Amino acid sequence: MIAVYFISAFLIAMTMLIVRRLLLTRWLMLLFVLIQWFFNGYVLLHAGQTELSYFTYDPAGVLFLGLLTLISTAAVIQGFPYFVSQLNKRFSYYYAALTGLIAAMTGAYMANDITLVWILVEATTLTASVLIYSERTLHALEATWKYIFICSVGIALAYMGILFLSLSMKGTGLHDLSFAGLTSVAHRLDPIYLKIAFLFVLTGYSTKMELFPMHTVGIDANSVALPPVGALISTGLVNLGFLSIFRVYKALSDSPIFVWMNKVLILAGVLSVLVAAGYMLKAKHTKRMLAYSTLENMGLVAIAIGIGGIGYYAAFLLLVLHALTKSSLFFQVGQMGRVLGTYKLDDSGLYLKLFPTGAIALLIGMLAILAIPPSGLFVSEYLILKALVAGKSWFVLILVLILLCCVIYALSTRVLHLLFSHPRENAGIHTQGTVGRWETISQFIFLMVVVGACFYQPPFLKDIINQIIAGLPNY
Amino acid sequence: MFYLLFVLFAGTLVYLSIAERFRSYAKLIAVQGFLLFAIALIELKTVNLASLIFVLAETLIFKAIVVPHFLFRIINQTKVYRVHPKAFPAFYSLLFTMAGLFMSIILSNMLKNPSLDAVFLTIALFTLFTGVLLIITHRRIFSHMVGFLVVENAVFFFSLAVGSEMPMLINIGILLDIFVSVLIIGVLMNRIGTQFSDLESDNLTSLKH
Repeated sequence: MIAVYFISAFLIAMTMLIVRRLLLTRWLMLLFVLIQWFFNGYVLLHAGQTELSYFTYDPAGVLFLGLLTLISTAAVIQGFPYFVSQLNKRFSYYYAALTGLIAAMTGAYMANDITLVWILVEATTLTASVLIYSERTLHALEATWKYIFICSVGIALAYMGILFLSLSMKGTGLHDLSFAGLTSVAHRLDPIYLKIAFLFVLTGYSTKMELFPMHTVGIDANSVALPPVGALISTGLVNLGFLSIFRVYKALSDSPIFVWMNKVLILAGVLSVLVAAGYMLKAKHTKRMLAYSTLENMGLVAIAIGIGGIGYYAAFLLLVLHALTKSSLFFQVGQMGRVLGTYKLDDSGLYLKLFPTGAIALLIGMLAILAIPPSGLFVSEYLILKALVAGKSWFVLILVLILLCCVIYALSTRVLHLLFSHPRENAGIHTQGTVGRWETISQFIFLMVVVGACFYQPPFLKDIINQIIAGLPNY
Repeated sequence: MFYLLFVLFAGTLVYLSIAERFRSYAKLIAVQGFLLFAIALIELKTVNLASLIFVLAETLIFKAIVVPHFLFRIINQTKVYRVHPKAFPAFYSLLFTMAGLFMSIILSNMLKNPSLDAVFLTIALFTLFTGVLLIITHRRIFSHMVGFLVVENAVFFFSLAVGSEMPMLINIGILLDIFVSVLIIGVLMNRIGTQFSDLESDNLTSLKH
């Protein structure tokens, strides 16, 4: 079935590039979304099954695929208003690249081999760069160049990590790089090689996870890309970066470097939150502010994984709820950009007056991403802090609490300015465009789920997370 | 013969670190391509014929001919011939490169592996270090791209190390090499080169805060 899925995606993307008719392209995109839902359903029904030897429908893949399907559906619909003219032929590249990005991410979630994950992650670089460049401005060119260059360096470093893993596996008799194979021999491998491999993998995939040290590429990409693309990069692609690192982490959890990996993750996590808090206090661009918020949340995820115990559960819950909240915020900020004609904070304001429905969605989204009750993220962040207390990591706990206060201050003052204040530099603000209230439906649905998770986490979600983290030490 | 090739390769890296003309960069990348071709020919005796032909074609045709050709085209198109006047001075660059070589020797001794030649590992690590140094210390995008091509050569060295047991990894490494090089050179030639004629990374700093 996965072969049929890939062939369908390829044919649809090719047709879009050849035909170049806006209406037909939109219908083809909707057809692809339908195929995505159908494939998602198939994966759910055949959980645990392996196809083509290299794709396994394991719980982690199923969870992130479900999220991707939901968010990509909304992203496709939210993207329609950005391309309304048949004359502008850029739409065909945009939709073909969007199809390719979603298909590559889907494949990477399901891949059971390190090298295949790496190839598909590389494919996301190509497709995402086309999407980032879709507006063809100098800013877009700069962001695209940085994205391609830094991601390529990152992907080369990740490949070095894979090569070090294979060097350490020499003599074990294992000739493939499946995660299952690596797990079975991890305890016998040379710790120095494993440490270098893990460092390279973490650094390389941090370009996709938007984690320190190579987070900058995602920040620039998000600030330039169209909001629906930003939503996909900040959720689906970030989750893919995390999953690529987590699969290696889990495979090596039985090796002597387990404790060391945890320390590295905590360090990367704390530095991510530190950088995010610092830059959020200086942020003057709404989409950039949301990108730094992604860095902050991914930092918390890394800390949670590093601390272990209940932190594992908290990390996955945070990833799920962050994806729903962050995509809602990107969609909403995109609509705000259409109403105000700008994403610059100093030129924006009075959004509540201009578009009350969108402003309410933005306000709820802000409360949700800041983990203020009744946001479901409150539960995950509370569990992370609880895990830090249980692990007696007092220094990390205090530092994270201080930094989170900075994040709350920075984000809330900026969003409240957008909603209620007059623009700082352009007092006479004029509405640039109109947005239908129906366009906020996806945001409200996602945010309702996030709020609901504060009171009730459905058993299937708990089960799937517990299946993913089963077998990890300290759990 | 094998070690002579390694010494020559290390020599190209040292020269790269002090070179100030982009034409020298392009020539050195071509020389590295030929040297990698010879090293691969000696190292990969045990892999099957198809993989060997693939590797040799990649090093000889792509690394030694096609990539340098495009580098020369970019130089002619943009008419930017030298590294930035405010670039890291060559003397300090040489010092750092030597420190990198020294660190690579220490690290490769720490990573002693019976199935891996220490000289092989030293050169691979040194290549990686030189590539990263070029990216970090230079201000023109052309230097960054050359730095990336050098990092790719380091990746190729590492993949040769595991080549006889996992030939698939070499092939994937080569595909990475071709795919990314074409992508980066293509963007540089078609977009960046026409928009920012001086190829300075300072032009690419508008995305802040």
